[in-house]
Amino acid sequence: MQAADLTHHTSRRFNEDLESVRTKVLAMGGLVEEQLSLALKALVEGDSALGKSVASQDYKVNSMEVSIDEECSRILATRAPAAGDLRMVVATIKTITDLERIGDECERIGNIAARLAKVERPMDRYREVKHLGRTVQLMVHNMLDACARLDSTLALATARNDRIVDEEYESIQRQCITFMMEDPRTIRRALEVMWVVRSLERIGDHAKNICEYIIYMVHGKDIRHTSLESVEQEVIGRTARE
Amino acid sequence: MTASAWWRLLLSLLTSVSVAVLVGLWTGHVGFAVAALLAILLLRNLYMLQRVLRWLRSDRADQVPDAGGAWGDVIGLIARLFRRKQYHKRRMRQLLRELRHSTAAVPDGVVMLNPAAEILWFNRSAAELLNLRARGDVGLRIDNLVRRPEFVQYLRGGDYRSPVVVQGAGVDEQHLLFQMVPYGAGQLLLMVRDVTRQVRLEAMRKDFVANASHELRSPLTVISGYLETLSQEESLDPILHNQIEEMRRQALRMTAIVQDLLELSRLEAEGASSGEELVDVGALLNRLRSDLLARHQAPVQILIQVDSTDRLRGEPAQLHSAFANLLDNAAKYTPSGGTVTMRWWRDDQAGYLSVADTGIGIAPEHIPRLTERFYRVDPGRSRASGGSGLGLAIVKHVLQRHEASLQIDSQEGRGSTFTCQFPLSRLVSAA
Repeated sequence: MQAADLTHHTSRRFNEDLESVRTKVLAMGGLVEEQLSLALKALVEGDSALGKSVASQDYKVNSMEVSIDEECSRILATRAPAAGDLRMVVATIKTITDLERIGDECERIGNIAARLAKVERPMDRYREVKHLGRTVQLMVHNMLDACARLDSTLALATARNDRIVDEEYESIQRQCITFMMEDPRTIRRALEVMWVVRSLERIGDHAKNICEYIIYMVHGKDIRHTSLESVEQEVIGRTARE
Repeated sequence: MTASAWWRLLLSLLTSVSVAVLVGLWTGHVGFAVAALLAILLLRNLYMLQRVLRWLRSDRADQVPDAGGAWGDVIGLIARLFRRKQYHKRRMRQLLRELRHSTAAVPDGVVMLNPAAEILWFNRSAAELLNLRARGDVGLRIDNLVRRPEFVQYLRGGDYRSPVVVQGAGVDEQHLLFQMVPYGAGQLLLMVRDVTRQVRLEAMRKDFVANASHELRSPLTVISGYLETLSQEESLDPILHNQIEEMRRQALRMTAIVQDLLELSRLEAEGASSGEELVDVGALLNRLRSDLLARHQAPVQILIQVDSTDRLRGEPAQLHSAFANLLDNAAKYTPSGGTVTMRWWRDDQAGYLSVADTGIGIAPEHIPRLTERFYRVDPGRSRASGGSGLGLAIVKHVLQRHEASLQIDSQEGRGSTFTCQFPLSRLVSAA
């Protein structure tokens, strides 16, 4: 199975349809990526106007989801795709749902950032959150790269990063609890920060899901709810054979 | 084939035939001898043809079969053609390699795209800046890999006259400058450059100007205030009076400059979507006129001509400041007895606001640079008249935000006309 397989079709229009869907999904991914980085910027710099603008831009992500969804249904109805093409359409429909949810989480972070801009920023200027945000951003970026290149190895490596995100989430949570116990005046802020890291952790989960769809699309194997190690054997074995 | 070669062929044929005839006469079988000779010649030709064919098919150009006569000529010519082709091919390959090496060594990123925006080739800098992979990324669409919405919009917009700066399109949160250069049959060359440093410097410069002018304002107010009081103090020596008056004028000038600097940095800092309202241009012009008349002793006549009732959609304070600057300039450079005419009209292409004076005019070589900050046509004169040198820079900024352009027509000694041209989309007819 190769990336170029998408281009081998008797019907040129069919090809173009599939390609255009993929490009739209990646454009949606680019928008989500930008939303995420702006939301984090708003939080770290305490820019309430930026936070609000991120929250108000979420409708763009939603409308892209609707339009891609329609296009996928149209392809299913008129072209009746099979094998790899069918997997691609199915994976796309799932991918955009997760992308849209990432967009929702960004909206939430934007709203919280706008609220947090009004209270005093902590001494460390959200260093831990920034770090977690960077990890998640990189995950989303790599996930989209893997989607563009249909690169199952990169998708797998990205999916594994979700563990790091989960660990960081746990540690920030513990840190927040410590802050709250030490100084009750920080409770309000710490609770909001908890929501932010919770959203970031969710974004990591969605990115991992999309990585799984990419592996499904490329190898035709559903790896949800299986351990990553066994998947790794599978993917590496296949890549070596090709 | 030349005539001499023909003759040679004919001669050798004749010789062989006559030898055959002689042999035939000697043996008594003339017909048989000639037929045998012709058969031998035919066989030889067929054999040579076969050899040449085998040589041409063999792909081994260096093993030229040797033969004499006409066949030798044919083989020699073919071999020459072949050698020439080989030479050109080598030259081309060398040239192409050098070209690729030089493009690869360019410090800017270069990506070649086909009309469908699929990657054909890219150099090492582009790979580093955009995180492209030398293997596997050729043939992919560039907007699948560089996904920032601003870039995607630039790519699909098709308007490649000016570059676009996008943050975070590459590996890190760098600011990258993208410039598309169309060439050939719909092909595109994408140039990428890291401008993070320039963007930061620019931001620092803007911050500095804004902070500095803000900080300068308060001490200036105090100085002006005391000078004002001092100038009315009658117990002072009259010689001091002149000096204090001069100090007061300079302080006022400085205040004006700081004011304009602040205005400019505010214009730069504000987003494009500032509060927009429908502005009644006629009323605005009347207000500007009475403001000016209140300040000066009106050495010039100010006329207002409103030929359109259309409202202008824009930021009222900014438009006020731009038009006021134009009017101030016109009044300043027009000697007493002159006329300044402000006119507002529209045609089916645009809406226009013009300020025309009968003043000293501007030499053509100065016109392109007029809107630069602190640019002065005649340093002595404009400083004496108390200008800050920022007026037209402000006008330019305000017009840019309103998608308008400034046109300057001037004749030395006769006067100048400054015309602002607003797009029709900004005009709203007063119902």
